[in-house]
Amino acid sequence: MILVSGVRFNTLRIPDLSIYPGRTAIIGRNGSGKTSLLRLIAGLASPEEGSVTISGEPTGTHNVGWVDEYPDRNFIFSTVYDEIASSCRFQFIPCEETRSMVLEIASKAGITHLVRREIRTLSGGEKAMVALASALVTTPPLVVMDEYDSHLDSSCINAVEGLIGASGAQYTIQCTQNMELAARCDTVVFLYEGKILYKGRPEKIFTSLKDSCFYPFSWRLRDAGCL
Amino acid sequence: MRVVFEDAEVTRERFMIRAAGSFAEGVHLVSGPVGSGKTTLALAATGLRTPKKGKIYMEGIGTFTLSQQFPEYHITGTTLNEEIASWGLKPDHILERTGFNGQGSRDPFSLARGELKRLHLACVLSGNWDLLVLDEPFSGLDCREKKRIAGEIATLKAGIVIIFTHEQTVFPRVDRLWELQEGFLRDLGPVPGSFPDWRGAPPLLRMLLEKGIVPRNLANEDLLEAVCRM
Repeated sequence: MILVSGVRFNTLRIPDLSIYPGRTAIIGRNGSGKTSLLRLIAGLASPEEGSVTISGEPTGTHNVGWVDEYPDRNFIFSTVYDEIASSCRFQFIPCEETRSMVLEIASKAGITHLVRREIRTLSGGEKAMVALASALVTTPPLVVMDEYDSHLDSSCINAVEGLIGASGAQYTIQCTQNMELAARCDTVVFLYEGKILYKGRPEKIFTSLKDSCFYPFSWRLRDAGCL
Repeated sequence: MRVVFEDAEVTRERFMIRAAGSFAEGVHLVSGPVGSGKTTLALAATGLRTPKKGKIYMEGIGTFTLSQQFPEYHITGTTLNEEIASWGLKPDHILERTGFNGQGSRDPFSLARGELKRLHLACVLSGNWDLLVLDEPFSGLDCREKKRIAGEIATLKAGIVIIFTHEQTVFPRVDRLWELQEGFLRDLGPVPGSFPDWRGAPPLLRMLLEKGIVPRNLANEDLLEAVCRM
């Protein structure tokens, strides 16, 4: 279990939040604190007060797959191959094994044609796909993704969903503005001005948000009795 | 007023996009899968890419701008005040409109990314443009902002608005559809007659079309109205 206790960080004020294994979507308006919460969980930042633990251990000691909302902030190498391989190389995985891991994840993500490309030549969506492949290549138990889907079309999102499902990650935590995607997660956390307003199963959370635009549009159509 | 692609071939790295067609006054939606060349074409439409072959030219257009997909690419000021002023606008007015009243001395990069996009779009949409090219204007915005921006686009004074997007849920009302597929820009024609030819149509629209229902346009209200016709 991931436990957030007594946390103050930037605008975040979270007395208590437990996240269980499975897929969790963090939703809320722009500026509600989603990125801050994800950075704490991924161990990329420490709270000013309080603690964040994963199975009782402090964050920062786990293998985490991270996808930043700024596509360009995901990369430290110039080619797609080196970028994806870096996750393996930093773990001292032998070259041959690294090579097969890179090619396998590229194939599953549908980006084999990009492997030899320089990252600076990629489109926004292609960069997002490379960042995801780099985050997932070593099958980390915790994957944290900050609006990876905002640069992708629906067919790429479906490919990534399959990739995440098959990755075997114990925890997948993402923030998104795509409520259809959030509705497919096990748990939804709704942040409002740095505080957790709702947390629970999608059916429960979106019922609380029925009068807002956060309610999935497909559900609204379903409720209208037309579908 | 129009932007003309005259048998233009625009290259990006190893691939080429062929485009022929004319963007007249109104709101145009150009869709295409990830990596199909939407951004390249957006750059070409505003003169930031020169075609290898053919011509791209503007007729009767005095003022134009491009809003890039990533708002961080636009930042030139070190404070919100400077950033807004760099668009030739009065900071206080934009700060108030975007909910950052009294925060003009903040670093633009201290904003959440969606907030940065909100600020950027407020600056862009405040201008009087003959041609406004928007590359993924909805990406990263929350649902309230998406709807607000879709509404603002519908009431813009701009002559020609070209929206390049992969958005699947929130759209403004548009006049004409275009699609980038396998290196070609296809002019699908006016809405709603062009909906059946739209290969990358959003899932809901596709479902409606399969049932023989053609919505009037793409705004949420149009889709909801069409669904309830069933």
